[in-house]
Amino acid sequence: MNPVFTQGLLDVDFGLFFWILITFLLFLFLLTKFAWRPILNALGEREKAIKDSLEAAQKAKDEALHISRENEKAMKEVESMSQRLRKEAIEEAEALRADRTEKAKAEAEKLLEQARGTIDQEKKKALMELREEVAKMAIEAASRILEEEIDEERNRKIVDRYIKELT
Amino acid sequence: MKQLLRFLLLTLVFTTSAAVVSNADTGSENRVDLIGKVVDKYYLDFKPLTTIELPRLIYDQGEFHFYRSTTSLLTSRSDLFTDAAYVDAYPVTVDGRIKPATYQIVRLDGTSTQFDFSITNHLVFFWFAALLTFLIFIPLSKKYRKGIGRNTEPQGPFQNIFETLVIFIRDEIALQNIGSQKYQMFTPYLLTVFFFILFMNFFGLMPWGVSSTADITVTAALALVTFAATQIFASKDHWKHVFWFPGVPVPIKFILLPVELIGLFTKPFALCIRLFANMASGKILILSILGTIFIFADLFGSGVAYGTSWFWVFLTLFIYLIKALVSFIQAYVFTILSALFIGMATADHSDEHGH
Repeated sequence: MNPVFTQGLLDVDFGLFFWILITFLLFLFLLTKFAWRPILNALGEREKAIKDSLEAAQKAKDEALHISRENEKAMKEVESMSQRLRKEAIEEAEALRADRTEKAKAEAEKLLEQARGTIDQEKKKALMELREEVAKMAIEAASRILEEEIDEERNRKIVDRYIKELT
Repeated sequence: MKQLLRFLLLTLVFTTSAAVVSNADTGSENRVDLIGKVVDKYYLDFKPLTTIELPRLIYDQGEFHFYRSTTSLLTSRSDLFTDAAYVDAYPVTVDGRIKPATYQIVRLDGTSTQFDFSITNHLVFFWFAALLTFLIFIPLSKKYRKGIGRNTEPQGPFQNIFETLVIFIRDEIALQNIGSQKYQMFTPYLLTVFFFILFMNFFGLMPWGVSSTADITVTAALALVTFAATQIFASKDHWKHVFWFPGVPVPIKFILLPVELIGLFTKPFALCIRLFANMASGKILILSILGTIFIFADLFGSGVAYGTSWFWVFLTLFIYLIKALVSFIQAYVFTILSALFIGMATADHSDEHGH
């Protein structure tokens, strides 16, 4: 065996080197064009889509939070307003009622006063009438006495009868 | 205990290699050519079933010689070429035909041919790795084109496994080392290199398979591509750092110039040697450990060899698992160092100071 031409472990074979280089560059080109670029692009797109949707979700969440906060705030406002209104209404109603009671009382007082006045007048009138009647009766009784003054006995009897008639 | 075991292992490995060498010297029939198992060949080795000779393409004295096998080349052009083993001896014929002995084709006078573009064992397995990468990722890219993985989640274990690797290389290797501005340009290269090396390494774990990465020619070619990428896409700052190091006194600049120049070449050189040495040593180690059984048979008799063989087989299994791990690690290391070198060369220091 000729030692010069025996393959050694550290021999660099030009032919093999040439072929490896050519093949490698060819496959590098082919793989880059038909495999790596599409795959990497797809991965990039997917990652971008995921990132975008995550960001959008975060944004939507923030917005929702914002809206719900606003809602809460509005709700609180509305509630406080309604409370205030109710309180006002109650106060108004109270005032109204107090006013009415006052008026009613006054009315009643007035009616009572009127009634009293009427009663007094009626009473006075009745008294006047009574007086007149009594005077009339006394006149009538006196005239009868005068007419029929026969005796004491008879007088008495007339007066008694008259009084009896009266009652 | 652990140290003792390590010592034992080391001793055995060294005695093994020594014994193999001495065996080779004596040329006994039990000789196993350990290095021959690792180096490149011009045939596919399916021993003991068969060997398939690969086509030969030789450029010599202005013309190409293409033959479908070494044997056919030797037979039809016996006036021009011969096998290296037959240079000093008369051509040996079997059944009237010349059979190759070393498969190393030389001219009749023993001088080497100009260029030997023959297809070799390692090249075939390199092509297998390239084809496998192609067959995996072209269908995968079609899936992405259809929208699976683009608009939806990746579906099926096939897509999930390889997508994980692709994303790992893009995010952990390319993005981390090159930076967000330029990493997209180099990610395809890093992906290609990673999967090629990974598949080549894995072929070495299969029966009759060889890992092309255990060949320094292959790793040198890959390292050269990384080197070319670093030099072609280097930034202005990179060259400034090489030739006129900023921020140091002038005499230091002159001292740093050769250092930086050497540094340019040691980086790809280290890439090349690291991958080659790791992959080749794994194979040599497995053969050495298995060889121990036969050395024990020679030294202490076959009884001892049979008795201890379980241990060597177990150790081989252990080394095999480590090789599987190393296959991944070395593919990763080559890729990440390539990314690192590219990142260093293409980095713009204009907005930052120092390193």
